[in-house]
Amino acid sequence: MKTLNIVERIEGEAKLVCNWEDEKITDAQIQFLNFRGFEYILKDKPALDALVYTPRICGICGQAHLKATAQALENIYESVNEPLYITDKAKLLREIGLNIEIIDSHIKWFYLFIMPDIAKLSKDEKYLKYEAIKGESWRKGTYAASESIKALAVFAGQWPHTSYMLPGGVMSDPTLFDIMTMQNYMDQTLHFIEKELIGDEIENYFNFNNISDFDSLNGALSDFIKLCLENDFHNLGKSYNSHIVLSKNYLFESGRIEIKNRQSVDLSLVKEEDINSFKMNEPRRDNEYTWAKTALYNDKPYETGPLSRALISNRKLIKNMHKEYNDSVLTRVMARMDELIYLVFITKKLIKQVDISQDSFIPPKLSLKDIGTATGISAVEAARGSLLHKVTLENSIIKNYDVITPSVWNLGPGINEKYGIAQKAIIGANSLEKAYIILRSFDVCSVCTTH
Amino acid sequence: MRQHKPKIVWLQAITCNGNTHSLLSSNPSRFELLLNSFNFFYHPSITTENSLEDVLNLKEIDFLLLEGAVTSNKQFYQISDNSINDLLKKVSKKAKYIISVGSCASYGGIHAKFEQNSDIKGLQDILNVWELKKLKQPIINLTGCPVHPEWILQTLFTLKEFGKIGLDMQGRPKDIYFGLAHHGCTRNEYFEWKIEAKSFGHKEGCLFYEEGCRGPMTHSNCNRILWNDVNTKTRAGMPCIGCTEFDFPRDNMLETKKNIGIPSEVPLGINKRAYLTITGVAKTFKIDRLNKKLIE
Ligand code: SF4
Ligand code: SF4
Repeated sequence: MKTLNIVERIEGEAKLVCNWEDEKITDAQIQFLNFRGFEYILKDKPALDALVYTPRICGICGQAHLKATAQALENIYESVNEPLYITDKAKLLREIGLNIEIIDSHIKWFYLFIMPDIAKLSKDEKYLKYEAIKGESWRKGTYAASESIKALAVFAGQWPHTSYMLPGGVMSDPTLFDIMTMQNYMDQTLHFIEKELIGDEIENYFNFNNISDFDSLNGALSDFIKLCLENDFHNLGKSYNSHIVLSKNYLFESGRIEIKNRQSVDLSLVKEEDINSFKMNEPRRDNEYTWAKTALYNDKPYETGPLSRALISNRKLIKNMHKEYNDSVLTRVMARMDELIYLVFITKKLIKQVDISQDSFIPPKLSLKDIGTATGISAVEAARGSLLHKVTLENSIIKNYDVITPSVWNLGPGINEKYGIAQKAIIGANSLEKAYIILRSFDVCSVCTTH
Repeated sequence: MRQHKPKIVWLQAITCNGNTHSLLSSNPSRFELLLNSFNFFYHPSITTENSLEDVLNLKEIDFLLLEGAVTSNKQFYQISDNSINDLLKKVSKKAKYIISVGSCASYGGIHAKFEQNSDIKGLQDILNVWELKKLKQPIINLTGCPVHPEWILQTLFTLKEFGKIGLDMQGRPKDIYFGLAHHGCTRNEYFEWKIEAKSFGHKEGCLFYEEGCRGPMTHSNCNRILWNDVNTKTRAGMPCIGCTEFDFPRDNMLETKKNIGIPSEVPLGINKRAYLTITGVAKTFKIDRLNKKLIE
């Protein structure tokens, strides 16, 4: 039997087409039918305008695109042996900005998308607090997210869609009081996380070794774990268990893991395939069913995102959970929340390290107009995983702009008899509700996926 | 007696979801008031109870909000198998108020630059007003990329309370768009005395002369209300890119187009020759205070 269902409440819309046998999903297609053509839009635009365009690829991870654009343009300077000097202050303000955006995204994803859905699987009234719009926890989650993102507006002006990073540094020049205000907002986020999410102090949390440490607690994570165990999510949602992280920062390390050994990555081995994807200006073939392409590393599919980052960076709790539950929904969601907790903690520290006496921006001596033809590449860690930008300029005009988003790794179609990451994870689920939650565990963003 | 809570239906077309995230970022107490005062009946990414099917079955919608540009081209874009245009034509007939949220919904915005689909427009360009019998006031354009959360709240609450709001020639609420983004910018004094920012990355100096700031030509009140009371782009150091105007996005947004060293566009409503004269005069003042670092 075949069914077709529309998945809402992701960023945008997706369709899930499932084959069922004996009440289990035996095959699944995830279809993204909407396409905006950013790579086409960017063609022939002035290079610096990309700083305004690419954040608008996605309303929730615009800072990741902004950072990727700024760094890809800086990479162009490197490619012609004129590397720009970026001060620590500017580097920190960029990383802090991106972290805050990820914090906001993770809080919203958990409280707006994951918990309302998973709580619905239980009849217990105590989970009504997670109900969308009405539920107390849902509301608290949106409040916490909106307060957190204010820390970014202090030095970026607003959010979403600010373009305060540019090749050579950042546009803003915060005062010490601005830095303090940012700290204050992060402290509020930390307080929320301790009280509502963990139900314990963060110092204690850093000593946690396994999910049993949540037994006596009363935070949302304890509820989530209980609901997972009740509904088999510690067994559901497993994919290939091979992970990739393309870039590193203060919290994340880059690399890839299959089974156990961590290996380094080489960006030139990343490629995008479109065998089963729609193509521009070509009649559609039977096998083509989505606008999403397929990202591969050395011709193999890899999962990207918080779980991959936690494993490659060796974060203890998630490592231990992974030993027991592999890449299940339980581990994947917990990895994202673990990342949230670490990010808040580390971002607070980074804010304190900003030395306001340094320059924010050092103007490049060479104009992009004087460079002729050159290509730049960059990778950054966005909320949903590794993001890659590759731009080719000709006298500062964009000739080609290639974006590979995290969602393309996780949600793109499989090729050559191999399922895509999320596709494989869904197969085996015994209800549509569960299939949705498995799909959601990847933090689906359809606008990103097709861009 | 329980008060009637007006129904809000929020639909999305070709969008980045930026306005949704802008709304979700509103000040918590304001957002709570919104949720308590209105019936947020449908939003594709937040509501769980109602489906698009339920929206289609509604007899009347108090506030229909659209985020994103529209297109009839199903090859590139569709919502639950419908073309966006068909869906909106159906749903808009039920609405008492229609609000285009963001520059994409108003004019096509950034998405209209996707030339391979030549049919990307703003909502006002596909609806036939004569068919919108329930409509109590012309379609409202809340332009901006994205709109400020406060603009959405103020518009909804004002309509709920007073039933009508004044609109400018482009269908934008006058209360928001009567002035310029320039009003309230902390760099205004530098603007007056023609002191340009040394480069990006400084608190000091105006971004009009080199960095492309469109504050003096862009209608909005960003610098008066601030983004959630916190800050604005120009205050922080990023030039205004004119995202509330119909011609957004333009080319070379981060630099000022000049003719013989003079910005080729001058502030709205000012005679160019007069502007040049004032500039010349202003520049003769050497104001020490404004040429120094603000914090030494
Ligand atoms: S107007 Fe801007 S923020 Fe709004 S949907 Fe369009 S691109 Fe996104
Ligand atoms: S930076 Fe822009 S908005 Fe601010 S004073 Fe200068 S021109 Fe006006």
